[in-house]
Amino acid sequence: MSSINWLSFAVVVLFLCAVLEFARRGILEIKYTILWLITCVVMMVLSLQTTWIEWLSNITGVHYAPSLLFLVAFLFSLVLIFDLTRRISNINHKVVSLSQEHAILLEKVEKLTKEEGN
Amino acid sequence: MYNRESKILIIVPSYNESMNIEQTLTHLSQLKTHFANLQICVINDGSHDDTSQKAKTFDVVVIDLPFNLGIGSAVQTGYKYAFKNEYDIAIQFDADGQHNVEDLIDLLTPIFEDEADMVVGSRFVEKTDYKGAITRRIGIFYFYFLLKVLTGKRFTDPTSGYRAKTKPVIKEFAENYPKDYPEPEVLVSLTNKKYRIKEIKVNMKDRQGGKSSINLVKSVYYMGKVSLSIIMQKLK
Repeated sequence: MSSINWLSFAVVVLFLCAVLEFARRGILEIKYTILWLITCVVMMVLSLQTTWIEWLSNITGVHYAPSLLFLVAFLFSLVLIFDLTRRISNINHKVVSLSQEHAILLEKVEKLTKEEGN
Repeated sequence: MYNRESKILIIVPSYNESMNIEQTLTHLSQLKTHFANLQICVINDGSHDDTSQKAKTFDVVVIDLPFNLGIGSAVQTGYKYAFKNEYDIAIQFDADGQHNVEDLIDLLTPIFEDEADMVVGSRFVEKTDYKGAITRRIGIFYFYFLLKVLTGKRFTDPTSGYRAKTKPVIKEFAENYPKDYPEPEVLVSLTNKKYRIKEIKVNMKDRQGGKSSINLVKSVYYMGKVSLSIIMQKLK
């Protein structure tokens, strides 16, 4: 096992600790924590078990094994980014709707307070 | 069904319109003598100047949005207010002094005569004094052409925001209204839903002051975004 394997493994462990700490503090929602935990586990296994990647690249006909790793990582990132933009759009709709309701209610409260004062 | 006694709301979306808002509201307030149940609603879209304070010196409803939501969402706040308070007619009126108060009665006439569900004030249905920038005119013609192809109807001024809407349209807009550059897009969605849209001639002035919400850089994005929205509306 070469040193790059252990280095990758250490980086993933650090990342895993960060994910768990963010989840513990409540910054990261549990449902997203699950996604990142699975990612960490997959990366940990792949960083130590290089034979698996080589086996997979043989099957798929990829000559250079790390290329397959990059391809998988790229596709995973793409799916994740797409999902995030979908979620942002959804949150944006909700923020706009909330702000509008908030402003309308505030106007009503101000009017009622004024009427009470008179 | 609709007449001068109907509950009418004039929605004035304003973003940093401190220079124009007093003049606009002074003109609009004069309309209260013509209509029994007319209210003016200023939507302050997170202005950084004293637009809100100036508007509050008038007998109008002022809704302060917590931050800038953009023209579409600001106007939609007005429709939500109109819907909640059971207004019969809502009119969008720009705070920057482009729209003429004198045209407002003409804008309402087709609604009073039950000829339309939405009336659009158009600069081009007949010849008017309007002299807009050439880029703006190209944009308007482009949307005219796109809407003609997609809906088969003629909308001579698809970007005009000077519009009067009846109760069913207010409900539609309160539920769903595009966030930015909404004007051409809603023409397609309302046509799809078989609402009657009528254009009447209005005069528009150039901006009296303040900053336009559309600059040259945004224009390209504007054309692309609206084209895509219009096509999506058609596919619904």
